[in-house]
Amino acid sequence: MAEYTHGFRIETESCNGCLACMRACPTHALRIRNGVVKLLPELCIDCGSCLRVCPTGGIVPLTRSLAEFSGFKFRVAVVSPVLYGQFPVGVSPAHIVAGLKALGLDAVWDYAVEIEVVRRAIAEQVQKWEGRYLMVSVSCPVIVRLIQVAYPRMVDCLIGIQPPREVAGRALKRRYSRELGIREDEIAAIYITSCQAKTISILQPAEGGRSHLDGALGVSDIYNGTLAAAREWELTGREPAAEDLVRNASMLRWSTPDGPGGTFPGRRHLYVTGITNVIRVFDDIEKGKLRNLEFLECYACWGGCIGGNLAVDNYYVTRNKMQHLMNGLPELDPVTQAEADRRYREEDLTLEGPVLPRVIEPSGRDLRERVRVMTMAEQIRARLPGLDCGLCGAPSCTTLAGDVAAGEAAQTDCVFLGKERLGDLRELYLGNRS
Amino acid sequence: MADELLRREYHIQGRDFERAGESSTLIKEILKGVGIDPTLIRRAVVIVFEAEMNVVMYAEGGTVTLVLTEEEIRIEVADRGPGIPDIEQAMQEGYSTAADDMREMGFGFGMGLPNIRRNSDLFTISSDVGRGTTVQSSIRLDGHG
Repeated sequence: MAEYTHGFRIETESCNGCLACMRACPTHALRIRNGVVKLLPELCIDCGSCLRVCPTGGIVPLTRSLAEFSGFKFRVAVVSPVLYGQFPVGVSPAHIVAGLKALGLDAVWDYAVEIEVVRRAIAEQVQKWEGRYLMVSVSCPVIVRLIQVAYPRMVDCLIGIQPPREVAGRALKRRYSRELGIREDEIAAIYITSCQAKTISILQPAEGGRSHLDGALGVSDIYNGTLAAAREWELTGREPAAEDLVRNASMLRWSTPDGPGGTFPGRRHLYVTGITNVIRVFDDIEKGKLRNLEFLECYACWGGCIGGNLAVDNYYVTRNKMQHLMNGLPELDPVTQAEADRRYREEDLTLEGPVLPRVIEPSGRDLRERVRVMTMAEQIRARLPGLDCGLCGAPSCTTLAGDVAAGEAAQTDCVFLGKERLGDLRELYLGNRS
Repeated sequence: MADELLRREYHIQGRDFERAGESSTLIKEILKGVGIDPTLIRRAVVIVFEAEMNVVMYAEGGTVTLVLTEEEIRIEVADRGPGIPDIEQAMQEGYSTAADDMREMGFGFGMGLPNIRRNSDLFTISSDVGRGTTVQSSIRLDGHG
């Protein structure tokens, strides 16, 4: 079986076996064994639900610290537009950019151009659609993985266009390599992200190949430092002489529920956020209940990237601040437009390979054997209480039954069926307190 | 005929639009659980869903039966309903007797039966006016319809 890398690390020594992550996992990829969490890597889609709920902080995102990029000669940040809505009122985008540079980043990339270029490419594909099939955005790495794992037939629906962050990584390496006379691999392209899932699309792109980015920093990783430096600027009452990177509303809208699909007039477009909501919509699509859809934008985090698990400020406040920023800006500014015109003609934006389904082999070597395992699971399930209490270490009675049938767990792991089980758990969780 | 590896039956309630589609979801999970090729699962799911919707729209109720052998996925949907007087006409794309309220819900565009036939390797339909309709579909597992 293929090896799967993930965008987080589980520190088992700090795990207290509390079941929170297991219960939160939408793909049932976690179990608790002997009071410690265990990951089934082939089922994990990197949604980060477990990170959000872990009370001990034992599930750690593999975003990095800026110091880890010190081996590069030149370090460039590609900033998710969400960041501009994270700081207190009064801290302007220019202050934030100056703050990032004060942290030690050598440049902050002009990301508006890639967002516009990719928006056009998607718009063009959707226009060409002619009612043949549904198209799904590849922006959210979790959704791409959800499709690979649970809706393998839908991989053909994924739009084969690189997300803006990848196009930016490629462009910035080319430019600074040329301007500074250094190699592309001496330049770090660092994505500032509001969720840990972007990390996985950098470490192991779903379409294979290599990412143009070198790593991600979470908004929460750089927040305090950026805020302190931005505040110093704010106190001077002057705007820093930084480049003006937030020039249009279209860029900011990219990360909100209105974009980019909202900018395609007359198209049957659906914007769905929250992994359980996305699963419901995909189910309806698969059975043919939802038809005539043209473009689907789905995000694993509730509320989209603004609601990412590494964002600092709350969703509603961030949305409000981003709306305020948009109100004062033109939909598209001439600088972005001219640059996007040129690059749209010159650059190849296609995804570097097709996204293929992730094959998860059921237990059993042939159909007869697999049916036997499944029938056995159903029989075991019928003996279980159906409370989904999780004390067996599986998220539901149905999952335990499947694990038992596959030989991965014992029926007696259920506290109702195993005489020793409660005593063992008492020992494990209460120890000398009992 | 190859022996049955698995047989499941589900009840469908006429006019229950809220729960319509449940058996297709359950059947999808079963076929996925035993490792059937996703393309074949997709076809089976569309067949069940369309047939289920026909029962919900037109009949009092009915049953979906799934049979899996080493050679095929068989789906039979039998309903207690008005029956179809002219099957040939009903099989034409776009032909529908659905009322406006159904169309407003996004159903009844006369694509159901043609869609079922298109996704089946073997397809039979029989109807008894005043009593009900039975649709039988088969998808071959070797992919050579």
